[in-house]
Amino acid sequence: MIQVNALSKVYPVPKRGEGLWGSLRSIFSREVEEVRAVADLSFSIQAGERVGFLGPNGAGKTTTLKMLSGLLVPTSGDRVVAGFDPSKRDPAFLRRITLVMGQKQQLLWDLPPIETFALNRALFGLEEAEAKRTQEELIELLELGPLLTRPVRNLSLGERMKCELAAALLHRPDVLFLDEPTIGLDVRAQVAVRRFIAEWNERSGATVLLTSHYMADIAALCPRVIVIAGGALRYDGPLKDLAERYGGGRKVIVRTRDEAPEQLGPFVREDGALVARLPSAEVTAAVDFALRQVAVADLSIEEPPLEDVLSKLFAERT
Amino acid sequence: MFRAFPTLLRIGLAEAVAYRAELVIWVLTATAPLISMFIWDRVAEEGPLGGWGQGEMARYFLLTLIVRHITSSWVVWELNENIRTGGLSPMLLRPMHPLVFFVAQNLAAMPLRAVILAPLIAGVMWWRPELMWTPEPWTVALGLLSAALAWVIAFTVQVIFGSLAFFSQQSLGLFNVWFGLWSLGSGYLFPLELAPDWLRQGLLWLPFRATLATPVELLAGLVDGPSALRLVLAQLVWVGVFLGIAALTWSRGVRRHEAVGA
Repeated sequence: MIQVNALSKVYPVPKRGEGLWGSLRSIFSREVEEVRAVADLSFSIQAGERVGFLGPNGAGKTTTLKMLSGLLVPTSGDRVVAGFDPSKRDPAFLRRITLVMGQKQQLLWDLPPIETFALNRALFGLEEAEAKRTQEELIELLELGPLLTRPVRNLSLGERMKCELAAALLHRPDVLFLDEPTIGLDVRAQVAVRRFIAEWNERSGATVLLTSHYMADIAALCPRVIVIAGGALRYDGPLKDLAERYGGGRKVIVRTRDEAPEQLGPFVREDGALVARLPSAEVTAAVDFALRQVAVADLSIEEPPLEDVLSKLFAERT
Repeated sequence: MFRAFPTLLRIGLAEAVAYRAELVIWVLTATAPLISMFIWDRVAEEGPLGGWGQGEMARYFLLTLIVRHITSSWVVWELNENIRTGGLSPMLLRPMHPLVFFVAQNLAAMPLRAVILAPLIAGVMWWRPELMWTPEPWTVALGLLSAALAWVIAFTVQVIFGSLAFFSQQSLGLFNVWFGLWSLGSGYLFPLELAPDWLRQGLLWLPFRATLATPVELLAGLVDGPSALRLVLAQLVWVGVFLGIAALTWSRGVRRHEAVGA
């Protein structure tokens, strides 16, 4: 559904010195610096996949999403989305994709959301009966009923985001580019949006490429992640393998009835408990070993926090 | 596009109603022709000026007020804002040209403008009843066509200045320069008929009169047949020129937007 091959984007950014002298100089000699936002990025995504697109601030995530949706033209490389070259912004292409950017509103600010829905139905030339059915489905899934007739300016951030999602999906796109869909939302709204994205993906079979700084979004939604930093690909694969490779393994914690020894096989004593960080494949043997060697009072196995895994990955390569 | 247009107009009107307070202020700030009318009325009190008595003055400025509002647009501010803040991006991802939406938005506010203007028009007609005239049907028909062309020119000029926001942060400043020149050269503040001959002849070659004085003079019945046709023809030429420039600035601007983002 999405094919990206050696995609690069270089922005010209004007350079300006400090203070009055810097401002005056910029009038006469305009220095431009080239910033490489995306560098030689390649990946492909199958129809119906839900993929998390991760990276630190300024990694090139939004630039990539804009190139995939046709808002930005790459400096080099190719991309094909739903069989189209996005640069042309062919109406047939625009009917098959959607881009939701957390902070960029498409809702009509002083009118109720139902008016934006009507506008989008008209702009996308949707068949009225079918579009109304989709609208009802979205209203039900996102629980928008009471919000529909209130002016958008009177809605909370979470309510606006839900309406934004509904407006963006009325034309039932095959590809969803979601850029920080839960940014600034409280925990309840985050869970609601997350649940909706998963449900919609299952119902419609749409492909989802999602960026988020909330790891809970990624953990809940994306079996596969693509990690970029400095515009270049750092990792592309299953989320669980990412934790395995960069998280230093799973953490096995054994609390003993008696005082724990300083060291026991792969375990060392930390805060009175025996702790071992191991690859998944070695966890069972280690637990078995501990059960045989000491009187176990409590045993737990923890996944490494995704935030730690990612910061380790970013720090390692950048 | 044609199927969508009624919905766009309905939503445009709903927006205008939502912004009614702003619209009232906006309409009232564009009532300079009424001030001009009172000044020129005093001037004509002493006796007709260039053949214009108080009735002709009132007629001219009342029509100026009406045509100014028929041809009014605010797309330059909308474009400037949306280009600078990234609001244009979602519009570019809809399968309809963003300017179609702005056309509908601007046209849809007209009925509400008419409602706001109606008491002012009624007041002027009560104050100076001698402004009434019986226009020839052909001047009304040509005048309305001319007003429509004036709207196209005014809207297109604003699209050009609005599109400059793709390239420069000074697009509104440049538009203000245009507006200043327009106020002087369009017949907005004084009837071009009463201007010195050299100025009147010079203004014939500039686009300003095509956006206001031409339809006003036609509707007021101040122009004979051959001159009326010449003026409408000049408007058509300006429509072509500005549409061409607007198409160029818009497409170059969008290309720049695609290259550097918002």
